[in-house]
Amino acid sequence: MHKAAPRHALIGLLWSAFFACGHVSPALAAGVQINLIAADGRPVADAVATATPIGAVPKRPRERKSTAMDQLNKAFVPQVLVVESGTSVDFPNNDSVSHQVYSFSPARKFQLSLYKGELHAPVQFDTPGLVVLGCNIHDSMVGYIYVADTPYFGKTDRAGILRLDQVPRGRYRIQVWSPSIADEPGSMSKDLEVEESGESAVSFRLRKPLRSVPQPRPHPEGWDAY
Amino acid sequence: MPPQPARLAQRLSVALLMIPAAASAGDRLDLQGLIDVRAVYADGTTSFLDGGSGRLRFDPDHQGIRIGRVMLAARYRLDDTWTFNAVGGSYGDHDKHAVDLTEAWFEARPFPSGAVRYKVRIGAFQLPASLENRSVGWTTPYSLSSSAINTWLGEEIRIIGTEFEAKWLGASRGYYGEVAFTAGIYGWNDPAGVLIASRGWASGDRQSTLFGTLGRPPQAFYREMDGRPGYYAGLSWRHHERFELRALRYDNRADPAATNSDDIAWRTQFTSLGARWEPDDRWTLIVQSLHGRTYVGPDGNPDYQFAQRFRSWFVLGSAQFGAERLTLRRDHFSTRQYAGFYGPPADDQGNALAFAYLHDFDRHWQAVGEWQQVHSRFPPRIYFGVPESINETQIQLSVRYRFNLQR
Repeated sequence: MHKAAPRHALIGLLWSAFFACGHVSPALAAGVQINLIAADGRPVADAVATATPIGAVPKRPRERKSTAMDQLNKAFVPQVLVVESGTSVDFPNNDSVSHQVYSFSPARKFQLSLYKGELHAPVQFDTPGLVVLGCNIHDSMVGYIYVADTPYFGKTDRAGILRLDQVPRGRYRIQVWSPSIADEPGSMSKDLEVEESGESAVSFRLRKPLRSVPQPRPHPEGWDAY
Repeated sequence: MPPQPARLAQRLSVALLMIPAAASAGDRLDLQGLIDVRAVYADGTTSFLDGGSGRLRFDPDHQGIRIGRVMLAARYRLDDTWTFNAVGGSYGDHDKHAVDLTEAWFEARPFPSGAVRYKVRIGAFQLPASLENRSVGWTTPYSLSSSAINTWLGEEIRIIGTEFEAKWLGASRGYYGEVAFTAGIYGWNDPAGVLIASRGWASGDRQSTLFGTLGRPPQAFYREMDGRPGYYAGLSWRHHERFELRALRYDNRADPAATNSDDIAWRTQFTSLGARWEPDDRWTLIVQSLHGRTYVGPDGNPDYQFAQRFRSWFVLGSAQFGAERLTLRRDHFSTRQYAGFYGPPADDQGNALAFAYLHDFDRHWQAVGEWQQVHSRFPPRIYFGVPESINETQIQLSVRYRFNLQR
């Protein structure tokens, strides 16, 4: 038993050196399944789930990515967008009215002056964290950009499950977030050791009931002018 | 030498190409319009608008086909922070000017740099106390007439001055709602109170205009006589776009001894409390109460004063079924004179009921049917040769055309 330990450690070191070269073989990557269950036992859909490497685990090479946060019927579409840090986000306004999009979140402060269509250049999100979006004309418009420090992310499906494929072996911090989760953010994080193959699973069961997130209401034009 | 056709075409195409570029900069000018024509039946006594003591907008001498309102509301965006807003039009009656403004103001709303967003208004605008009159031009989306409270606010109260608002935006802290503190300082509202003191409460949709008059004899409201500015201060709370609470205190701080050649200054103070609850996309419930007092005559000398307390509340329930909307509103109102008796007490006591049915044919055309009944007891009616206690009924069938232009 005791003799075997150094041999394992050596293999581990070799693996680390192998990964440190940035060479990731799909054969050595595994699947991660993240389950999110509400306090009442029902699955939580549409929640952000991320697997962030801890320590020396190399990330998949970062691709220059761009995506979009649309505006329709006085709402951000999607309401929650999750991106890897370094991603550029377009804010096209396909609404019938103009918007003034802003964020004063520490992770990314910006202001897009009054516009329709695709007037503004994309906004780049480099700092991991939560960016809360608002419209200075329509206070009820609320959107979120969750900037993750990992390429391994997604949103839970209707069964409250997110499957991440091709996750290299290593140690990860698994986190889930949604505007409707009322639990302490600290409790929404678990560490996971991903093996070289097979599937690892992490489950989160919320303690507090889900918060109701108001859905945008289609008010007739000119309502709430006063 | 006239420009070559090719050069002209080139210039024209350049100009045409610039139109979408200008449009993509946003709808700088937003115009919303309303044309409202009605068939009216009214069985009450002569309306106060025509020199009588009736509480409704129309009466047996003023019924048939009438203009409800022709309105144009403009908002022009000067830049990202400032807008200019104006609402004007006509009520088709014998106001001093056939076309007049009801509101005109500048508004500054800078981008928030933290959880509190500031807003400033300067100009002439409606008091932010109503949860019923929420649509453009201070109209109500629930019926044709407004409650007694909001009818009166539209008649006598207009803020000509400046307003400051600080609003806490909850979304940045994970709360879907806002809490706002609003305060205003204004002038040119010294006669406010004369109508409720001499007439009592009414229910309709005739706002006073900024440069015009209301009623017979014509009464103007926007006059400054004493150089003392008034104030209002209010708190509002909105929760999840489903519930909104507004509380506001108003005091025009008029010197009740001030007069000019046409008018006297009325010291008017009131408190308004209101809530709107929209449990789902179908139902709306609004309750509002307002109470206060108004008086004329030198302070500290009740023997030479005419003074009244006034109070009203209403409950409004409304339901939207696709293109149909049904609204029921119940008002209660009273005034009680407590100084200056030279004749029958100007005590007003009454109830009102309104039922409205609205149908949207499309986003432009709308038909509205409204039945209203007001019961009021008002002793000074003896001067009009009318019994002090009367019931008045008014039925209006309105066809409305609404439009929205953005440039």
